[in-house]
Amino acid sequence: MTIIKIENLTKKFGDGPTAVIALDHVTVSVNAGEFVAVMGPSGCGKSTLLHLLGGLDKPTNGKIILEDLNIADISDARLTELRRRRIGFVFQFFNLLPTLTAVENVALPLVLDGVKTAKANSQATEWLKKVGLSDRLNYRPDQLSGGQQQRVAIARALVAEPALILADEPTGNLDSRSSDEVASLLRTVSEKWGRTVLIVTHDPRIAAYADRIIFLKDGRIVEETKLSGTSAQKVKQVRQKAEAL
Amino acid sequence: MSVRYALLGLLAQRPCHGYELHSTLLSIVGGQENWDLKPAQIYTTLARLENSGLVRQAGTDKDSGPEKHIYTITPKGKQEVTRWFREGVAENHVHDEFFIKLMIALALEEVNAVEIIRIQRNTLYQQLHNVTTQRQNAKPGQDMARLLMLDKTVMHLEADLRWLEMIEGRLDEVAHQPIPPPANRPRGRPMKVRQLND
Repeated sequence: MTIIKIENLTKKFGDGPTAVIALDHVTVSVNAGEFVAVMGPSGCGKSTLLHLLGGLDKPTNGKIILEDLNIADISDARLTELRRRRIGFVFQFFNLLPTLTAVENVALPLVLDGVKTAKANSQATEWLKKVGLSDRLNYRPDQLSGGQQQRVAIARALVAEPALILADEPTGNLDSRSSDEVASLLRTVSEKWGRTVLIVTHDPRIAAYADRIIFLKDGRIVEETKLSGTSAQKVKQVRQKAEAL
Repeated sequence: MSVRYALLGLLAQRPCHGYELHSTLLSIVGGQENWDLKPAQIYTTLARLENSGLVRQAGTDKDSGPEKHIYTITPKGKQEVTRWFREGVAENHVHDEFFIKLMIALALEEVNAVEIIRIQRNTLYQQLHNVTTQRQNAKPGQDMARLLMLDKTVMHLEADLRWLEMIEGRLDEVAHQPIPPPANRPRGRPMKVRQLND
């Protein structure tokens, strides 16, 4: 089932000779529950793509159909609601509020949406437990490691039960061990909890957790790699590689 | 892959049967899935070690086949082990089939080198994905050896991908260098002196 359908998406910044075409007629689809990584060199348009998908910016041309709604031409008010309810964001620098505890940070989107504090806290606690932070509920961000902070951010992105999670370089600020933990959690979000996850990353090791990798260059898709195989095939390939070492 | 030093290392601890050496090695690396080590390789290597005077047969269990010969290390063998632990292991990265494929693709004009790189990149990402999945499923308590090996594999694949990116950027440069012609060696038997004077 297709959850995202992008058609001829174009984003142009500026005008005339100095105009930058960040995205150039990009067409791609994402299925519900898929984990997709978007990669490419600096300036290839991957972050722009993510911003447009998340309703944080409007395209110059083309369509973005998210669950049958073309978000390219809806009102700002509707976009805001979409961002609050249907899409969860995870950023490179965690963006947690330093004066709030983990529970309070995760509950915030619900509280802002009018949910009563007690209920919001209870849902926030549930999600923090799911991401493995049941013993850190009342810690503030400065008492948490980078990897833990990012896991709080992921719980926060999930608390309003969105269908889509967008992450922009979620491991960019983490060491390799924490990166693996976060990437593994994002994989769980897609595989076990059935959300669609789309990440922008420059790290091949992290992209390898995805079901599919889309490569952008100069605003266009230059490659798409589907990463799948049967279990037996996978084990054989791993062994062959290890033996060759 | 050579098991020469692994066997010497184990024998330096105490004398063993070939069978014991095989099962000990396998359990150290975490099982047959990590290393498809065949018993034949152990026996062939033991024979060579014996020829080199690094191990000798200490005795045999009666009513047994060759796998029950007991091997023991010699003083010369012990010196070899000490040397092995003291020196670094040289990594061999030169035997790279993809590198050769790429060079040949560049030499043969009908083959598109960019396409070769693209296919290789997809293959590497596929492998990286498979290794990552295996790593996720491994249990840190029980599969330590396997995890270490998988981590190494991940890092090597990352390096391979970075190298591909680099070549892609320099493809124009590489493609325009002429492939050197093979060296001209005189062929056939040397001419008889008599012929020159005719």
